[in-house]
Parts: sequence; C-alpha cells; structure tokens
Amino acid sequence: MKTADPSARWLHDFEVDEPTCRRVLDAALERGADRADLYFQRVAQTSLSLEDGIVSRASTAVDRGVGIRSVLGDQTGFAYCEDLTEAPMRAAARAAATIASGPASAAARGVGVPIGGRGLYPVDRGWPDVELGAKLAIVRSVEERLRSADARIAKVSVSWVDSDEYVALVADDGRAASDRRPMAVLRASVTLVDGANVESNFWSLATRNGLEWFEESRLDAFAKDLIARTSILFEARRPPAGEMPVVLAAGASGILLHEAIGHGLEADANRKGVSIYANKVGERVAMEEVTVVDSGLHAGERGALEVDDEGNASERTVLIQSGVLEGYLHDTISAKHYDVAPTGSGRRESFRHVPLPRMRCTYMESGTAEPADVIASVKNGILAENFANGQVQIGAGDFTFFVKNGWLIEDGKVTAPIKDVNIIGNGPEALSRITMVANDSKLDTGGWTCGKAGQSVPVSQGMPTSLVSSLTVGGTNAQ
Amino acid sequence: MPSETTIRPADAVNVEAALERARHAVDLATSAGADHAVAQYGSARSLELQQREGRVESIEESRSASIGVQLWVDGRYSSHVTTDLRPATLAKFVTDAVAMTRLLEQDPHRRPVPRALWEDRADVDLDQVDPAVDALGQDDRLAICAAIEDAARADAAVLSATAYHSDGHVLFARAAADGFEGTGEHTSLSFGATVSVKDAGDKRPEAYRFTGAAHRADVPDPGTIGSEALERALARRGAAKAPSARATMVLTPQAASPFMRRVLGAMQAGAVQQRRSFLEGRLGDRIASEHLDLWDEPHRPRSGASRLFDSEGMATKRRHLIAGGVLETFFVDTYYGSKLGWAPTTTGSTNVVFAGGAGDLESLVSGVDRGFLVAGWLGGNSNPTTGDYSFGIHGHRIEGGRLTTPVAEMNVTGSYADLLPRLAAVGDDPEPWSTFRSPTLVFEGVDFSGS
Repeated sequence: MKTADPSARWLHDFEVDEPTCRRVLDAALERGADRADLYFQRVAQTSLSLEDGIVSRASTAVDRGVGIRSVLGDQTGFAYCEDLTEAPMRAAARAAATIASGPASAAARGVGVPIGGRGLYPVDRGWPDVELGAKLAIVRSVEERLRSADARIAKVSVSWVDSDEYVALVADDGRAASDRRPMAVLRASVTLVDGANVESNFWSLATRNGLEWFEESRLDAFAKDLIARTSILFEARRPPAGEMPVVLAAGASGILLHEAIGHGLEADANRKGVSIYANKVGERVAMEEVTVVDSGLHAGERGALEVDDEGNASERTVLIQSGVLEGYLHDTISAKHYDVAPTGSGRRESFRHVPLPRMRCTYMESGTAEPADVIASVKNGILAENFANGQVQIGAGDFTFFVKNGWLIEDGKVTAPIKDVNIIGNGPEALSRITMVANDSKLDTGGWTCGKAGQSVPVSQGMPTSLVSSLTVGGTNAQ
Repeated sequence: MPSETTIRPADAVNVEAALERARHAVDLATSAGADHAVAQYGSARSLELQQREGRVESIEESRSASIGVQLWVDGRYSSHVTTDLRPATLAKFVTDAVAMTRLLEQDPHRRPVPRALWEDRADVDLDQVDPAVDALGQDDRLAICAAIEDAARADAAVLSATAYHSDGHVLFARAAADGFEGTGEHTSLSFGATVSVKDAGDKRPEAYRFTGAAHRADVPDPGTIGSEALERALARRGAAKAPSARATMVLTPQAASPFMRRVLGAMQAGAVQQRRSFLEGRLGDRIASEHLDLWDEPHRPRSGASRLFDSEGMATKRRHLIAGGVLETFFVDTYYGSKLGWAPTTTGSTNVVFAGGAGDLESLVSGVDRGFLVAGWLGGNSNPTTGDYSFGIHGHRIEGGRLTTPVAEMNVTGSYADLLPRLAAVGDDPEPWSTFRSPTLVFEGVDFSGS
C-alpha cells in the first residue's frame, strides 16, 4: 500500500495529521475492537429566504467535527467530538472502544492514498466562492416569475440553501477517502386566493451541480410548474375511497419504489430478520419488465455519491433484475455479515451519526409500453402526479405515499383533478401488481430527503409511467 | 483531559460559564459593527445504548456545543450558528456574519424584542435537572436495557426485540446587547423497545413503545415498557383492511397527539400572514365542539418542554389556546406580529394540556357502536392552508362497544375544519410524561378507505 504524505492537503481542513489519526485509532482499538475509523466532516451552509418581496431570513452555519467508531462483529461503539485537538479526540475514541472488553488490537496502519474524485459533482466554483449577490439574484428572479404568473397570487416565498461539505475518512487498515460534496436546494411556495377559496402549494429543485445549472429556462419551467400545481387545486376534489388502479406518472413516482421496496432491502433490517424481504433474494417479486436500481453514479443528482460515509466507492446496485430480487444495500457491517462486497451504501447524516445502509438514487428502468396506453388501459382509477412524502413499515410491508396532485381516470381518459390524498399498499403485493411499465423513465430533480433511525440523508428517485392494478386510495365515502 | 464519562455537558461546566460565552459572542458582534446582537450558547451531552439478543448492539456517546448569533446591522437582520468554537475562528465567523448582513435589504419588521416583553419574566423553579440522571452509570443503563429486552422477548412469536436507552443533559444561555440574559438546563432520560413478531406468510409486524422524563423517578418501570411494546406487536398480527366506511374514529392518546399537534401549526402567526392557515380570520370563533379545551402551560414543573422565556426571549405565561371549542389565541412572534399589526404573544407551544375530559380508552370505546380505534399512523399529510388531511392508519375495528379484529392498510381522509366540530368525547388519560398531553379522543363521521 502506498502511504500518503503526512502533510497531505486532504486532512489539512481539519488541522490533523496522519500520526495523530493513528494515535486516535489506536485509542479506539485499545479494548480489542475488530476495526475502527475516523470520519472528519466540515459543512458550511448559506440560507436565504424571500417573503413579501424582501429577504426575510438570511443565515450561515458552520459544523465541524469527527465521528469515531469502533466495530466488534456487528456491534458498534461510537462517539464524536467537535474539538479536533488530540486530547478530546482520544477521549472520544476511548468511549467508542468500550464496545469491546479485551486487550488492545493491533496498531493502526499507515494511512493510504484517499479514493474519491470521479467527477460526479460538476461544479465550476464551490458554493463558498459564489458571491451572495448571485444567489440572491436567483431567488429574486424566481420570486418575480411567480408573482407575475397569475392574477390570483396572494403570497410568494422562495428559499435557497447551499452547502459545501468536505469529508475525510481514515480507517485503521489504512483505507482513506475524501469527498467534497456540493448541494443547492431552491424551494418555493405560493398561495393563490380566488374569492373565498385559498390554495397553496410548494416545490423544490435540488442539485449537486453548481451555479451554472440554475439557467433561465430551468427557472422558467420551475415557476410555471409550481403555478400549474397550485391553480389546479381550486378545481380539485377528493376521489372516492377504496381500492382502485393507480397510474404512476414518470419521475417523482419513484417514491413508491423508495417505500415499497427500497427500505425493505436495506441489509441492516434483513440481518436482524425484521424485513418482509428477508431471505427472498433470488425469488421472482415482479413481472419480467420490472428492473429497479439504486445508484450513486448519476452525476449532479441529489442522490449522487462518490464514496459512501465509510470510505467505500459508491456504485450502481441492482435491487430487482427483470422481476427477480437481486440483492440488498449494504454497509460494511452487513456486507461482512453476509460475506459480500459492500455496495457503497453506508451513509450518515453527519459526523454525529453512525453509518447505516441507505438509498442514493432509486429508480425503475424504462419498459416498453407507451405512456398514453397505460392511462387508456384504466377503466376507473387515478393518475398520481406530484407527491409530498411517504413512509413504510418494513416488517409488515405496508407503505404509503401522499399525493399532492393527481387526476381521476374514467373510461381510459384523464378527467377531473384530485388533491391531498394518501395512498396505502403492501410492498410485495404492490410489486406483484405492477402490470404495465412505459418507456419514459426519468429522475425527479426535487429536494427529496430520506429519514431513518433519526438520520436524514439526501436522495433522488425516478420512475417510468406505470400501472399498479390496485392500491387503497384515501377519499370520500358515499353518504 | 476530560474523563471518559462526563457528567456535565461538553464544554461549559455550568450555566454561568455558558452565559459568559454568550456575552463574549455579543461583544464580538457589536465590536464588528452590529447595532444589536443576541447570542445563545448551547451545550449538551448524551449517551445512547441499544441492546438486542442479550448483547449491546451499539453505544453512542456525544458531547456537543454551539454558538448562535442574531445580528441587527443598519436595519438589516441575519442569524448564524457554528460549532467551530476556536477563539480566532469564532471571531472571524462573527465578523464575516456582520459583513454579510450589510449586503441584505432593510426589513422594518425585524426589530429587537421590546424590553417590556422580556423583563418581567416569572421566577419559578422548573425543577428540570435531576442529579440521579447525571449519576447513571453503565451498569444502571445495562440493567434498564436488560429489563426492557427480557419483557419484550417474552413470547415465542418474537423475531427480534431491541431495547433502547438514552440519557442526557442540555444547558443553554442567552445574552443580548440590550441587557437580556437568561439560562435554561434540563436532564432527560428515555427508554423503550421495538418488537417484531412472526405473522402469517412473510409478514413481520413491528411495534414500539417509548417513555421519557426529566427526572428518573418520573419514568415508569422498564419491564412494563418492554411488555407494552410486545403487547402492541402481538395485537397487530392478522391485521387486514376492512371495507371503506364512514364511521366513528377513536384515537389512543399516543395517536391523538401527533394528529392534534397539526392544528397548532395553523395557529402560528407566520402561517396566517403567509395565507397558509385554515384558521385565518377565526380568532374568537367556535372552531371545534365544546369538548375541546386546550391550555399551554410553560411553567409545568419537571417537563423538558417548560421554559421561562421563549425562543425570542419573550417571557412565557399560561395561556388558554382553545376554550370550549372557541379559538382564543394565535402564536404571535414579534416579526409576524409586526407584519400583521398584532401584539406578540409567544413563539410557540410548550406543554399542551387538554382540560375537562373524563374516562379512559376502554370506557370511551364502550360507548361506540361501530367504528375504528386508531392506534398509530403510517405516512400521510395535511394541508395547513385548507385543513385537509389524509393519513394511513392501523388499529382495531370497534363493534358493539368492543375492540374486535385488527386493521391495517387503511386511510382516514377529511378536513380539520369539518372534523373538529365533530369531536364527541375527550378522555382524561394522557401519557403522564408527554409534552402534548392528548388523552383518548372520539370523532364522529370520519371517512375510512379500505377494501
């Protein structure tokens, strides 16, 4: 193994050097843990929001620290500290070491050359180097587009958050990784008033690209889309309550995959035997045309990831190949448990958290049907278009997603708009009821965030137009 | 060098030292040219344990500290927070923050909190610090986890049971250039379990039960919590969707709290001013049946949510939120109060108490001929602008005043504006330790979607 220069730049952000890292790792191994790692992280964030035509909030935040982990089999000891001088780091390491109770393990090896740098975050200038005025200009231009878009506009608010995250991982076996991860999220909400009726809606754009991604045409489309999503609400109604066919529109409908299958295939739940998909690898779970992927390799997407938060290279992981359950999403602990290679899915919210198997960018590949034929095939059902959130119980398999905008389908035609209904189903049942998959798969660029075990991480999702033959739709019962 | 098991929060050893740090940050801001500044120093320590199959699954120890500053510069305002507290870095952070504020626009509604709203705050001992929580050792924590896990595994159907324990200590101090000073400190202890059990086919229903308090003497017996988690998981076996129906909905105290908390979101002045509240224009109106009587009690002793001043520093007091179904107040901060021309009240709720109820879950269910008991939620959302809601549920059918078959994979859908007047009964059985103290609630005429 090549050894990194002890004065290597990649650790300079944290004012630590290789010998210090090795002493801290030795402290984490002093009671016999199998392995240990240090996860240094620094995040600088700028937020702006515009309300009533002026900047109503502006803030900056800096967060910096190290998470120290000692692992013994599938047991974890963890501590973090924000003070990156040696004494507090060693104290934290000794707290993590208490997961084990034997003699010290072998000393940490020399630090290798860090992996990373595949160009998945195409940014000309990092966000800290972009002047505040350029960010304000984007926020203002979106606000102006929205304010002038409809005579019924009563309120517009637009917010912006950019962050510059730098992580460096050092493990006792010499593994090293670093990653500089940019992120920008533009979010807007509008309220329209029409007589006595008031309706509001919101939407967001998220990216790991830089300033140049926020081009005029993209901002135009974003503003038009939000106005359309909101003005349609005045005509929207609730669907009838009960089971019916649901057509998922291309794009954000990937939320169904995230909830119905993604979480259930995170290997920690399977290692503990609490997922409905435990021991189902190799079984047919959907029709031939269904292939579902979780990948960190889509450049610029919110769910893109060069290396995971355990220093493993990210990858494209196939969850369902042509209808057959292919495998799980692994972190290092579960990969060891199953004796397979990690899938680069070990993620954490920050240095304050332990890594867990998590999704990145989850989507279904295109099938062969024409989107119009999918809708035409439905006698009475709904088309689900825009979503707010979802959830799953991975053991029972029940999952939900909340539809902000959609349409009734009657006799194969899209008729009246619907709004604000929850849809509930069961994961394996829903997969087996996917009966049509169209040829228009696309990723959604919304600011999706996945929560698990109290940790939030950014994710993306995508879907082709597809038909689930039956799900339970929230709605109104006949009197 | 710090010892391995710190008793006190990370950096500052007491509120006086914390206050000194907040004052220093205010000085940095005013020296850099701020006309007014507020700083808050916060520090916390916690220890979390998870135990599964008789072994510790994870130990997580944390010690954390941060400084936040709010700046008023030339009629402009911004806020900033950092965990990088090295003296030189902190000084640069605050100086840069003041410079950034100058690039913003003037906002006439962003003004310091008037002295009259903060200087006469109550002098009450909130009794939020328990030395017995700080004195917990690893053996105590392991004993709590063992008692929980043993009780939670006490059935052959159990596939996996995990016991959780966490204890912590938080303190903060706030200082402002106009002389405002205030501190707060509380301990916390919480524990619980998640249990997965075997069901028909591949289904592995899971349930959880957690409890927590500021004082060790206020938490229930760990074994009881483990048993309750197990009972809940077993009760979910064989759950299936029932036919869609309009029926009576009974909410357990645990299910009622998150459901009713959403109503408070529409009581925020910011939601009203931004035209995103279904309660806009309803102050003084009857918005619910006469059974709904809500108070906010910020000085309730031994609660982690209690506070003498709110997040803007305004003095807190007991407040009637909804009196016999009539909306009595909004949560008005100084910013949106200025925009609306309303007098500020407080920035948000603390301990919400339901008054005037009677009966427990069992007695309230016995009065329902046909309906559903909702024990928990799965996803869903509500629209604060219109009051519409739609949530996934699980629970039991109620037939002839008794709980019968378990149900799951169903939704309830409607509007808070229509539903609150149909609140038919309120119990008196809130979780003793909860901060949103909802008891059992009964609503009539609710739309359930199922098969």
